[in-house]
Amino acid sequence: MKTILKLLLTVTIILSCHAGNAAEMLNGAGATFPYPVYSAWAYDYNKITGVQLNYQSIGSGGGQRQITERTVDFGASDDPLSPDKLQKDGLLQFPAVVGGVVPVVNIEGVQSGQIRLTSETLCKIFLGDIKYWDDKKLTDNNSGVKLPHSEITVVYRSDGSGTTAIFTNYLDQTCADWKSKVGAGKAVKFPIGIGGKGNEGVANYVKRTQSSIGYVEFAYAKQNKLAHVQLRNAAGTFVEPGFESFEDAAETGDFDPKKDFYLWLANAPGKNSWPIAGATFILLAKDKKDVNMRVVKFFEWAFKNGDNKAKELIYVPLPASLKEKVRGYWKEKGIY
Amino acid sequence: MASLYKKNPVDLLFSSITAIASFSVIVFIVGIFYVLLSESLPAISRFGVLNFITSTDWNPVRESFGAATNIYGTFITTTLSLLIAVPVAVGIAIFVTEIAPNFLKGPIGGAIELLAAIPSIIYGMWGFFTLSPIMSTYIEPALKNSLGKLPVLEILFRGTPMGIDLLTASIILSIMIIPFTASISRDAFNLTPAVVKESAYALGATRWEVVKNIVIPYSKLGVFGGVVLSLGRALGETMAVAFVLGNNHRITTSLLDAAATITVTLANEFTEADTDIYLSSLFYLALVLFVMSFVTLAIAKFFLLRAERKYSR
Amino acid sequence: MIETRTKRKIENIIALILCTLAALIGLFWLVFILADIVVHGIGAFKLSLLLEDPAPPGVEGGGLRNAFVGQLMITACAILIGVPLGVLGGTFLAEYARGRKIARFISILSDIMVSVPSIVIGTFIYAILVRPLGHFSGWAGAVALSIIMIPVVLRTTEDMLTLVPWTLREAAFALGAPYYKVIIQVVYRGAAAGIFTGILLSIARVAGETAPLLFTSFNNSFFSVDMNRPIASLTVSIFQYAMGPYDSWHAQAWAASLVVMIFILFITILGRVILKWRYGKR
Repeated sequence: MKTILKLLLTVTIILSCHAGNAAEMLNGAGATFPYPVYSAWAYDYNKITGVQLNYQSIGSGGGQRQITERTVDFGASDDPLSPDKLQKDGLLQFPAVVGGVVPVVNIEGVQSGQIRLTSETLCKIFLGDIKYWDDKKLTDNNSGVKLPHSEITVVYRSDGSGTTAIFTNYLDQTCADWKSKVGAGKAVKFPIGIGGKGNEGVANYVKRTQSSIGYVEFAYAKQNKLAHVQLRNAAGTFVEPGFESFEDAAETGDFDPKKDFYLWLANAPGKNSWPIAGATFILLAKDKKDVNMRVVKFFEWAFKNGDNKAKELIYVPLPASLKEKVRGYWKEKGIY
Repeated sequence: MASLYKKNPVDLLFSSITAIASFSVIVFIVGIFYVLLSESLPAISRFGVLNFITSTDWNPVRESFGAATNIYGTFITTTLSLLIAVPVAVGIAIFVTEIAPNFLKGPIGGAIELLAAIPSIIYGMWGFFTLSPIMSTYIEPALKNSLGKLPVLEILFRGTPMGIDLLTASIILSIMIIPFTASISRDAFNLTPAVVKESAYALGATRWEVVKNIVIPYSKLGVFGGVVLSLGRALGETMAVAFVLGNNHRITTSLLDAAATITVTLANEFTEADTDIYLSSLFYLALVLFVMSFVTLAIAKFFLLRAERKYSR
Repeated sequence: MIETRTKRKIENIIALILCTLAALIGLFWLVFILADIVVHGIGAFKLSLLLEDPAPPGVEGGGLRNAFVGQLMITACAILIGVPLGVLGGTFLAEYARGRKIARFISILSDIMVSVPSIVIGTFIYAILVRPLGHFSGWAGAVALSIIMIPVVLRTTEDMLTLVPWTLREAAFALGAPYYKVIIQVVYRGAAAGIFTGILLSIARVAGETAPLLFTSFNNSFFSVDMNRPIASLTVSIFQYAMGPYDSWHAQAWAASLVVMIFILFITILGRVILKWRYGKR
């Protein structure tokens, strides 16, 4: 027994000595919405610079909580914090990338992009007012599609989620019933359905449950070949989710550095805008200047070199003008 | 004995070190209770005790938190899993002690106990990928079409069979607690004096009659302790349930609906609670769970000790 | 008369069949779960699982080298903290405090603590080690696991030391040896196999723990051996990968589960064999 203990001791000592020359590491946590693009960036960044940017997707609420507690180097959230709140917790905030939340379905015989939904039908499904896929309200807009008489299973996010915030913000703006019964936020009380953890969990549940509908960031729908729907936007056109419609929505947004870029893109007015788009934000702790500069260095690298990777995953890189505004914001805060 | 080691300074040192080490158990238990209590004070002062336990509102947006839905989920899953597991486990114990030929007793008992060695994360994953589709395609529709048609039982089987619900979670839990109940019951059965059993056989009793009229009455304290111990285990199970429960803060009568237990809520929401009162409420939830399981386990221990004392007489 | 006899016989047969059925149900679950893990795990196992670090989500390839190493480090550190405390604590109960009320009290408390929900221990460590220090860390995970180990090791040590015949100690006392020497040189030697088994079983117990690591050692997508930082573990990675949507993640989760399960079953069975060989018990 003693020999084993000794052996263990030696191994641990060797390993902990090894830790001395470990790579430079930055720890971030938060939104699952940009997780695919952040990890892809971090993967490349690590290859080039050797810096390990460990990003864990635990949800936007988690990102806000952990940076407020200062247990991570940066937080990430799709649910922008108001300037007051940032001031109160000593945080900085800037956008990193724009994406779209997409309702995804798993219905037998229905292909991606076939089903057309309006804010009203979407809202009624998530409220549980529309219970079957062949409900008249749905078939009206979908004359060409054969919808089965099967009960709808709603999948929502169980964790504190910026994706939920963007999604419910949209429903809140467009559907009076939703506003009065549920409201908007990162973790609302969904009246029906099952809750998956993270975009990952929702995608997984939708993939594995017949006749289900959920909402995920588009990259998750794309990577997992989930069928998305078309939505009618504020201008009255049915649009497909995709790079163009997200970009169209992003261009309507006026991000203001003075307000720490606090802005929602929901229900954007553009003719081809995807109605449930949103920016995702990075949160920094004001008091950790040294760490902030290293985080900013990463995002500066990503702004310069990461656009193609982002586009590949169907995220919209920030327009050049907005990137300049962000750089100005960094300079002003003395972390650039 | 005491005088033996007090004379020697090294002995005094060594005995003090061992004493400190063993007191660490008390320190941990008191520490856990104290830390959870102090962390949950904001939530306790805001929601109270009775109100927190009975309120079904778990609403992070309005910052209003009540534990009832979580407690309900914990209660239903543990009760249901005990209902499934206890008959099977007692059956196994009877089989292993009274029925199986001698060469099979050891191997079968050991095999059942291996169920306890499988980590809960693997139960969860297996439940999610393998059991849940079987439940949603075969078992749940079948239940819905048979029991679900009966007048009163119907409320238990409402909704769509999704395989991610109270029923699936309870079945996984039941598999996990079978080995605990079975092995404690077996140990208790084994303590029945052979003389008593033999005299019953001599009077012409069948095996079942011996089990029913002698072994079980003799060992019921131990078996009961084992059942309560399993209950305590099931209360705190997290990962196995997290995969297949569907995280839904609602009280539902249907076993085919998603729900949430205290443990699942903690696992899912603990790192992401964004406001202080939210985090405090989660600590409060952990405190409730800690107290619940501590009391249950203490009761189990009480019965097991009484059983032990009875047999050793 | 004859009728009641037949009735009794039939009742007997039905009951016996039901009990046999119960045993078969238990075995069925065991075989079902093990076979399922083995089939999926072997199908998904690639050497790259052990040799490569994770690829970004949605990108094929990569492995869980970081998680294997992380898990080993967390477990090893937990052993370093938990085993000495447990063995020493057990020694106190079985030797210095033998027969005293306090020994009985701590013993009962440990039995209860063995089954305290592990997720509660995770929240406890978050409050005392993660938040005050300002970061998730491998150490926090190791401490959480060691808290689970201590009562297991403590109780087995106590039981095993109690099994060492008192006469053996008396013989050593007669030679004038102080108590601590008697314990270390005579009692520990006599109970070595038993204590070792207790340690093995406690390792098996914590090696599969996930819940207490979620808020303590957190996770890390890179290879890191720095225990002061977030560190990956197999169990948390399995949770993340199995709950995630990607097929390549699912495959890796199965393969990792297979490895974890083989490790734990091996240790458990080894512990049992030693017990049987040394003490002739099951």
